[in-house]
Amino acid sequence: MTGTWTGPDAPPAARDAHTRPALRALVLAAADDELILGHRHSEWTGFGPDIESDVALSSIAQEEMGHARVLYEQVAALDGVDIDRLAFGRSPQAFRNAVLLERPNGDWAFTIVRAWLYDQADAVRLAAIAASPLGTFAALARTLQREEKYHLLFSDAWLMRLTRSGPDGRARIQAAVEAAWPEALGIFEATPDVSVLVEAAMLAPAPEEQAARWDADVRARLAELGLDVPVANARTGGRAGRHTPDLAALLDEMTSVWRTDPSARW
Amino acid sequence: MGARRLTASGMRLDQIVPDAGHVFAVFRQDTKNDTHVHVGDVHAPDHEMALVLAKEQFARRDPCVNLWAVRYVDVAATSYDDVDMFAPATDKSYRFGGSYREQQRTYRRR
Repeated sequence: MTGTWTGPDAPPAARDAHTRPALRALVLAAADDELILGHRHSEWTGFGPDIESDVALSSIAQEEMGHARVLYEQVAALDGVDIDRLAFGRSPQAFRNAVLLERPNGDWAFTIVRAWLYDQADAVRLAAIAASPLGTFAALARTLQREEKYHLLFSDAWLMRLTRSGPDGRARIQAAVEAAWPEALGIFEATPDVSVLVEAAMLAPAPEEQAARWDADVRARLAELGLDVPVANARTGGRAGRHTPDLAALLDEMTSVWRTDPSARW
Repeated sequence: MGARRLTASGMRLDQIVPDAGHVFAVFRQDTKNDTHVHVGDVHAPDHEMALVLAKEQFARRDPCVNLWAVRYVDVAATSYDDVDMFAPATDKSYRFGGSYREQQRTYRRR
């Protein structure tokens, strides 16, 4: 896999020492997003509102972790570490996931709204990477797009039905939108040095344009469902390693088995 | 046929399946050369959700190219009381046609 960064078939952004750190940061942030949300989704296993959705969200959780894995493999190849150490051996401050994704699941409505807001953002982000001259990274993004399409189908199907289910469902969804919105805006917080990639014409659209596209996408759907979008400033920090205590608690549980013997081979 | 009415297509599955309006039979097609096979059921409020859920229940492991979801209330079924309908009165082994099944297997391998 090291060939991805230094070999002849590596995209220029990976070979060039000037753009490489920015590409690494971009991939790491996406990997952390997928791992942390995947873990939160997995906490529903055995507790879903019905057996079918329990199985479906558990499967989505596995797929998000699978996506994290292939993205971590890229970062691990560059850093010369193994992926388990990347996933389980870092302090909370070393994680670059958006803060929204580390929040506890709350009720099913919050879980669905959060998943939906993130799935929409992930679709925009993957589309940008897939269309950029990033060679193997673009190809990787196109592979992940296939499964993410279903994730969005699932969260959107639930979002619509809960919203239209009656006053209780609508109220819960509206409350979840308001709770998630400021940190959802934080998903598009720029990853470190990403402007270097944009200036080198290695990533388009730029993160702020991706944010605008996401904003238009989600507002159109929320308006269609008669849901209000709150006026709020973005709550950021995750891309710079500033997290809430929720992430430390999550990592403490998620890494408990790995920490019993970090050198063990699984 | 005598006085007793044949109940074929007369038995409704909602008489034996609880909440049949919200239970969908799921049929999976492994390849385009295969027929759709009933692989299980999902509970769902409507057809679209039934397919969304069926995808993860029945297509996340084995290969699949297509799914059908059919509401149980839309399935016409014979009755188990109609066993006579299926019982041959005379030897009809000449109809078994085992070689045709072998042909199907051969074609499917293509």
